[in-house]
Amino acid sequence: MSSWLDGHWLTGLIAWPLVAALLLWGWPNRHQVRPLAVVATLLELLGSLIVVATVQPHQGGFQLMERSDWIPSLNIHYHLGIDGLSAPFLPATALLFTAVVVGSWRLVPASYQLYFALLLVLEGLMIGIFTALDTILFFIFWELTIIPIYFLISLYGIGPQRRFAAIQYTLFMLAGGVALLAGLVLLALHHPGGVSFDLPQLLVQSLTQPHPVAIQIPIFLLLLVGFAVKVPLFPLHSWLPLVVMAGPFALSATLVGLKLGVYGLIRFALPLAPQAAQQLHWLLAGLGVIGVIYGALLAMVQSNLRQLLAFSSMSHVGLVVLSLASFSMAGLQGALLQLLNFTLIGSILFLIAGFIHYRLGSTDWIHLGGLARVMPITSSFALLFGMASMALPMTAGFPAEQLMLAAIFQSHIGPGLAALGGQILAATYFIQYYRRAFLGPLNSSIATDTPDLYRHEQLIVMLFFMLVLGIGIVPSVVVDWTRPSAQAWLLGMIGH
Amino acid sequence: MTVLPWTEAAALPLLAPLQLLPLGSALLLLLLPPRQQRLSYSLATLLALAELGLASELYRRFDPSGAPFQFAEQWSLFAPISYHAAVDGVALLFILLTVFLGLMAVLYGWVRNFTPPSHFLALLFGCESAVVSQFASLDLLWFLLCSMVQFVLASWMIHRWSSSLDEGMALRRFAQFMGIGVLLLLIALLLLGWNQTDRFAGRGSWHFDWVTLMATPVPITLQPVLFFLLFYGMALRIPLFPLHGWLPLIAEHGTVVPAMVFLLGVKTGIYGLLRFVLPLLPQEAQRWQLFVVVSAVVGVFYAALLALKQHNLRRMMAYAIVSHTGIITIGLFSLQLQSFQGAILLSAHFGLATAGLFFVIGLVNLRTHTVLLDRLGSLFDHLPLLGLAFFVAGLAIVAMPGTPGFNAVHLMLEAAIHRFGALPTIAAALGNVASAACLLWAFQRIFLSPPRITSATSQTITRLHTVEIVFALTLIFVQLIAGFFPEPWLRLVDNSARLLSEYYISY
Repeated sequence: MSSWLDGHWLTGLIAWPLVAALLLWGWPNRHQVRPLAVVATLLELLGSLIVVATVQPHQGGFQLMERSDWIPSLNIHYHLGIDGLSAPFLPATALLFTAVVVGSWRLVPASYQLYFALLLVLEGLMIGIFTALDTILFFIFWELTIIPIYFLISLYGIGPQRRFAAIQYTLFMLAGGVALLAGLVLLALHHPGGVSFDLPQLLVQSLTQPHPVAIQIPIFLLLLVGFAVKVPLFPLHSWLPLVVMAGPFALSATLVGLKLGVYGLIRFALPLAPQAAQQLHWLLAGLGVIGVIYGALLAMVQSNLRQLLAFSSMSHVGLVVLSLASFSMAGLQGALLQLLNFTLIGSILFLIAGFIHYRLGSTDWIHLGGLARVMPITSSFALLFGMASMALPMTAGFPAEQLMLAAIFQSHIGPGLAALGGQILAATYFIQYYRRAFLGPLNSSIATDTPDLYRHEQLIVMLFFMLVLGIGIVPSVVVDWTRPSAQAWLLGMIGH
Repeated sequence: MTVLPWTEAAALPLLAPLQLLPLGSALLLLLLPPRQQRLSYSLATLLALAELGLASELYRRFDPSGAPFQFAEQWSLFAPISYHAAVDGVALLFILLTVFLGLMAVLYGWVRNFTPPSHFLALLFGCESAVVSQFASLDLLWFLLCSMVQFVLASWMIHRWSSSLDEGMALRRFAQFMGIGVLLLLIALLLLGWNQTDRFAGRGSWHFDWVTLMATPVPITLQPVLFFLLFYGMALRIPLFPLHGWLPLIAEHGTVVPAMVFLLGVKTGIYGLLRFVLPLLPQEAQRWQLFVVVSAVVGVFYAALLALKQHNLRRMMAYAIVSHTGIITIGLFSLQLQSFQGAILLSAHFGLATAGLFFVIGLVNLRTHTVLLDRLGSLFDHLPLLGLAFFVAGLAIVAMPGTPGFNAVHLMLEAAIHRFGALPTIAAALGNVASAACLLWAFQRIFLSPPRITSATSQTITRLHTVEIVFALTLIFVQLIAGFFPEPWLRLVDNSARLLSEYYISY
């Protein structure tokens, strides 16, 4: 067993949640399902930590590779591997899903066997997305995530519009998928040695004998559209507010916590069409800065915490795209760090919103007020994580934003200033919401004996806050660990 | 073109038993004494399994990299008609599909319990035999005659067992359309026959054997006429937009699912295009390529939009089918190796998925006695397995990765990008997303959301019993396995698609 696992750690990481999902769905005693789901996610977390520990960060390049034939006549392979850019996302995914499963302990009232099974399926597919090295395999994982998400929204959503939201999300993603698949196929067709979907091969080829820019540009634009739907970037973001209002909190936390779209940009769109990406840097920067400002402005006028968090994540992700457009070391590392922050900060804010909604039936400040009087622990953690998302020094948000802003100011000074303005807006919208919902006199509709966070909820919030502080104080752990791969990436992009 | 006789591959001819076994089964069931009627369904299941076994034996002995046509059997009958059967990979794929769907149809009949069983099953096996014979035959006239038998038997089933009050009207419309289709093909046959007599100075006899047809060049002046006769003759039965007028009516009023499966699940029209039109008239196919593709693209969107507007589930399915056949046609008329492979696989997979959807609709209807979307709802709580089967079949039609449709669409995308460039291809592929919308919407209405008008589903819904569970699981697993392991099917059709693409290589 162990000898088999030695060569197939990544397959194991993908397969375990799927197997566990099947077991949980058919588990005879439904009362044991919740603890078992927690155990399953903890095992996955353990596995992902072992995998990351075995990666040699200084070697660079892809490691733990697995490759076998799958559909030889289409030249599609089952090909997995990770490098310094993708490895951190494995424990991040596993950690996030552990938190989400623990956090959903009480949030789901009925038929939670299927619910936890769907969450685990989603986890396995997301691990697949981060490890796939065959572009079609990646695309298959990418599209398959739609299915559990569809059911999670449609069956377990909280809003009256959940069914519409589920269909709308699916259609957006399918339409984005068309562009993505076309881009990947176009890329494969232009590979000089015959049709190839092999990511390492394609990367080598784009470094040594890049296509003319005229070919790269359509490929880049197609991939950009495909990924932008998922990020989401303006103007393809309109699914997000509906999903966070209508979907379950656990799902919103994973969608905001793992920015698959940005990962796709870093892994595929930019390095596979490097010259086109640099020529169109204004497009990336423009989309980024629009995202920053537009997201922040929309967040300011929201009365509902879920909407506010959705737009604020859109604003933050805009900054990430803007910093990627600088094509510099600081920009990339800041972006990577910020992507991990989405997992550590953004998703926990959503879970806190879920905890509040579970107790009071709303996350709209019109129905809230004075929460700090009855839920002091919730309120303090909401404030702490809110501050972290504003990049307060000592929290993980700070080094990420420093790196990104430094990179942006070197490459795009104008958009950089605009983004800085967006950051100031970010402070206003969160503080404004906090004042209305958490401070002041207690809203008369709130019972004075509303319970505060339960033990298990406190546990995950605490754990995540420790991590936020830890990375905030010693960011070099992550930054140094990803440096060799980041350098390799940058070499592929700008060639020196 | 080498046609390998059956003596090369097996000790006994396989194709004749494959066509005769269903016929024999039909007779056997008719001869069953009335007291033994309740045995008919179990007996029929065994016979259908035997037929499936025969087909898998054929598949096992077939050599995908060998001669293009294998297991050939030839037997001269009187004058223009002769029995000439042989299969290539494409025909074999379609035969496997037909035989599998035949088994599913018998099981479905068991669940629905059509009475008297012997008559129903005899018609069903007769239909199956006619369809298998169409795929196995190399003779165009034989193909045409068998398809007429198929239409008549299927119409008979609908006439006899349809629960609609207006099935006569639908059948009349169906007969008009198919009559015209047959007429067009007959005229084409006449032209081909005259061409042969001209060529051999009046001494040649009329042969519509595929080998003879291919060997007799058609004069350039005759080609456009012939192309349109053959193309529209086949297109009427596929059906291609704008010739789909019969389908919504038949789908709505022909409530006998096995008949629908033998009309729509087995893609004889697509097979006819592949076998008798594209290799015969490559120049014309090339010349009218744009015309066909543009009308197919229009059809994809037009039908998808109409599908979204339907309240009757069966009508919605009809428009969804028109939309998807448009996508197959785009694949066929991209006229390239990958697109042929993709279109062949896609039509087999669509056939499977369409049949699956019709079966599920039938089983839902058995419990709720309605197919109106307003009256259906919340069935996922009662019938999760049926819901899953519907969902998987729906996803297969949308070409979601992991279902058989994806690999096919992937191939077609490659070819279409080659031929038409990326943007038109993406526009056409978005049509697929439009059909995704209508299937998802239907899924949600039937299985997830509560019914808008409380009627049918507020009654107690009986759970699935064993035969139905086996039935639904088979549908799900066959599709998933074919989706994740597409290699055997790709290999099967590779040779035929390669040969077909050679006619178009010079363009």
